[in-house]
Amino acid sequence: MRLTIDGRSVEAVPGQTVLDAARAAGIYIPALCYHPKTGKAGRCRACVVEVEGMRGLKESCALEAKDGMVVHTATPKVMETRRLVVDLLLAEGHHNCISCQANSSCELQDMVYHLGVERPSFLIESEPTPLDLSSPGIVREADKCIHCGRCVEACQNGVVNEVLAFAYRGSHAKVVCDDDVPMGESTCVQCGECVQVCPVGALVLKQPRDVRIRPHETTATKVTCPYCGVGCQIDLHTKDNRYVFAMAHEGQWEKQPNKGMLCIKGRFGLDFVDSPDRLRTPLIRRDGELQEATWDEALDLVAERLKATKEQHGADSIGFFTSAKVTNEENYALGRFARAVIGTNNIDHCARL
Amino acid sequence: MREELSTAIESIAARYPERRSALLPALHLVQQHSGGFVGAEDLAAIAEVIGVPVSEAYGVQTYYTMFQRKKLGKYHLQVDTNIPAMLAGAEAIVNHLERALGITVGETTADGLFTLSTVECLASCGTCPVIQVNDRYYESMTPERTDALLASLRQGVMPDMPVVAHFHSECGVLMARRGMPNATDIDVYVASGGYRAIDRALEMEPAKVVGEVKASNLRGRGGAGFPAGVKWGFLARGTGKPTYLICNADEGEPGTFKDRQIMQFDPHLLIEGMIISGYAVGAALGFIYIRGEFAWIAEILERAIAQARSRGLLGTNIKGTGFDFDIIVHLGAGAYVCGEETALIESLEGKRGNPRLKPPFPAVVGVYGCPTVVNNVETLASVPFIIEHGAGQFMQFGTANNFGPKIFGISGHVKRPGAYEFPLGTPLARLLEAAGGVDGELKAIIVGGLSVPILTAEEAKGLLMDYDSCLKYGTMLGSGGIMVMNETTSIPKVALRAIRFYAHESCGQCTPCRQGSHTVAMLLERIVAGRGSRVDIDRVLQLCAAIKGTTLCPTGDAFAVPIEAMVTKFRAEFEALVD
Repeated sequence: MRLTIDGRSVEAVPGQTVLDAARAAGIYIPALCYHPKTGKAGRCRACVVEVEGMRGLKESCALEAKDGMVVHTATPKVMETRRLVVDLLLAEGHHNCISCQANSSCELQDMVYHLGVERPSFLIESEPTPLDLSSPGIVREADKCIHCGRCVEACQNGVVNEVLAFAYRGSHAKVVCDDDVPMGESTCVQCGECVQVCPVGALVLKQPRDVRIRPHETTATKVTCPYCGVGCQIDLHTKDNRYVFAMAHEGQWEKQPNKGMLCIKGRFGLDFVDSPDRLRTPLIRRDGELQEATWDEALDLVAERLKATKEQHGADSIGFFTSAKVTNEENYALGRFARAVIGTNNIDHCARL
Repeated sequence: MREELSTAIESIAARYPERRSALLPALHLVQQHSGGFVGAEDLAAIAEVIGVPVSEAYGVQTYYTMFQRKKLGKYHLQVDTNIPAMLAGAEAIVNHLERALGITVGETTADGLFTLSTVECLASCGTCPVIQVNDRYYESMTPERTDALLASLRQGVMPDMPVVAHFHSECGVLMARRGMPNATDIDVYVASGGYRAIDRALEMEPAKVVGEVKASNLRGRGGAGFPAGVKWGFLARGTGKPTYLICNADEGEPGTFKDRQIMQFDPHLLIEGMIISGYAVGAALGFIYIRGEFAWIAEILERAIAQARSRGLLGTNIKGTGFDFDIIVHLGAGAYVCGEETALIESLEGKRGNPRLKPPFPAVVGVYGCPTVVNNVETLASVPFIIEHGAGQFMQFGTANNFGPKIFGISGHVKRPGAYEFPLGTPLARLLEAAGGVDGELKAIIVGGLSVPILTAEEAKGLLMDYDSCLKYGTMLGSGGIMVMNETTSIPKVALRAIRFYAHESCGQCTPCRQGSHTVAMLLERIVAGRGSRVDIDRVLQLCAAIKGTTLCPTGDAFAVPIEAMVTKFRAEFEALVD
């Protein structure tokens, strides 16, 4: 199936939207409310295009690509609409890229830059709203919210934590937690999915250890979450080989076990990697004190004690406890070790708790 | 929350195909029984009974202006200040109330007796000024009548106060029973020829009924003028899902008070129209989505529905034909946008009244994901005549392509504001004459509800009140709500009041409407206050031009088009304020 976008012949698959087809072909259409995980919303009006044979503007995020369709993404009316959207969003909020944590990973910023808007057309007249710093992991800045609704959709229907919702209406409409309580006092479980989908800086991660590092300074490395057995794919952001923050890996999110989402542990529980308290060598308690040892010393000690205990008290006096934080292969090996080497069925796993 | 309330909510929920629909009724119910507001604990309890997250229940509660979070005075005095009310002197009533009560708008008297609010159009345009006290309307108010009302309320009595409402029915179809004693009673309705069309309809194949309505060229009376029979034809067939019929009784377009003429004075006409239409489209359940402020009209409908049910005209196996049909009256709660059909459907489902992205259209995916047809009250009330007398007879009224009778609501500066039923295509001059003529000299006129372009007196000359003539004259027939303005009217003030209405009613979903209406309001405020400049006037025009055609639903055009027309046609008046 082929359609023509801005004079270019573009390949599309059935069911694909015009927006996706355009993006796949490298044609830029801004879309502030659409996100692959939260779907079409029709709120921002940034992605509108004109289609030959169709009346008026069409939302490219909601428009199914059809064979032979002729789409224009930069007509005067489309460009006027994008400019209008940008002007109104800039008038509505307090957007200051200089100090914004989302600088360089902001879709509004990209759109403004792409349009070449130097100054917004209207004055900002509203009083600033205070930051919501009440929750341990997330900072909410209502004045940067562009009402795209991604976080609400993600919270209600993606992770189904049902905390975020739109309240009030018109220019008073805003995203609230439960019945408009600070996030830290709400039923929010800090999964951070809202931060993951926020296109601007309205929802950002609280930075660990007060570091002030923005996304463009970090390197993302795809890793598997070390916590449970789901195998969530994480983009671990580091700077100078030190951990900064973690986001779900969204590349091919539909095929990932975590579908581009994370829980509180995967998102916020990884800062231990750089902790000075981490064990660097085995420790053996000698004379009531833990002392550094080599692996050979430690393993010899464990083997010797296990052997002695088994001889003295029998195999069933020994039990093994495994963890979801290690791989299936490692869990299997420990099972074999318990049953075949030690000779006991006393083996259990933390996931049963 | 008291146990009897949760039991009552349960029984409301059981009436609906999906229990979430009970959210708005539950909020109304609890508010009524908890001193006029629903606090945090009650809201959480409602959310739990219905099974929605607290966050969503809160989102719904705060979306609708009729739901209160805090306790108000014993009597909530709500003065309509929208354009027709403004033309009728509502400002004087507000000032009078402020003085009499010693409070300003938004405040409650120290004794907790009165809270004073200003509200958007209450659809009393022909009988303005209007004060809504809790659930009751007090119309045709003057400072003297307001004093009498307050004196009575201080005694703890909600008084009965007569209303002078002008009307005339030239066609005798939609307002045939207006003025007849007890016309809301089923016996009077039957004795005057009612429930006859239903017999004829049930003898016909449903497709034939659709065909007859199609042949009549009945165009949707909600404002868009789309042929009703054609709309019915779009309904998805063979989906295995039920089909629903919804009557749009949200009547919120400022200047419009036609649907209430039918529901308030001849409810059985609407019910008969719905039964026939339900039969035609294959629906077993119909809803009347009526604006929350019309709670007292909803009671009239409920009584009429109970009567019809007791006569076997609603319920199962109607007249032994095997056709089942029933009607649920569903109250809105103060949201203009719910007059848009997909917003209405969302609201009926117990959600915020946010319009949906189209496609899919309701005919394919409507309420509860099922094929749904949404028709206006006046449209459905026209159906019995078409079926009883035939499409040909219906087409005796009106002009080519614009057939049938129409109720015109005439408000503002005329001597006899009121509801007038005339054939489509009647000259505007004839309607104004019926309404007693213009009070003073005609300056400007809005002929189809607030959302259509204003006409100067000169432009309105020769206008025929039908869909096509209005288009030719650069405006729209819309709802047929005619607002007449004489030489004393300040168009910049009208424009400011208009945009404040839209900014208040914008659902807030899409950028151009949410922030566009707010920005235009700020600019017009500046201009009217004398703090603006010619640049601001140009900005208003630029914004309106840019907003047109960009919003998710028609609300963006609904304000951009008329504001642009007011500023363009009366620019000198705006400039005089800034120079």
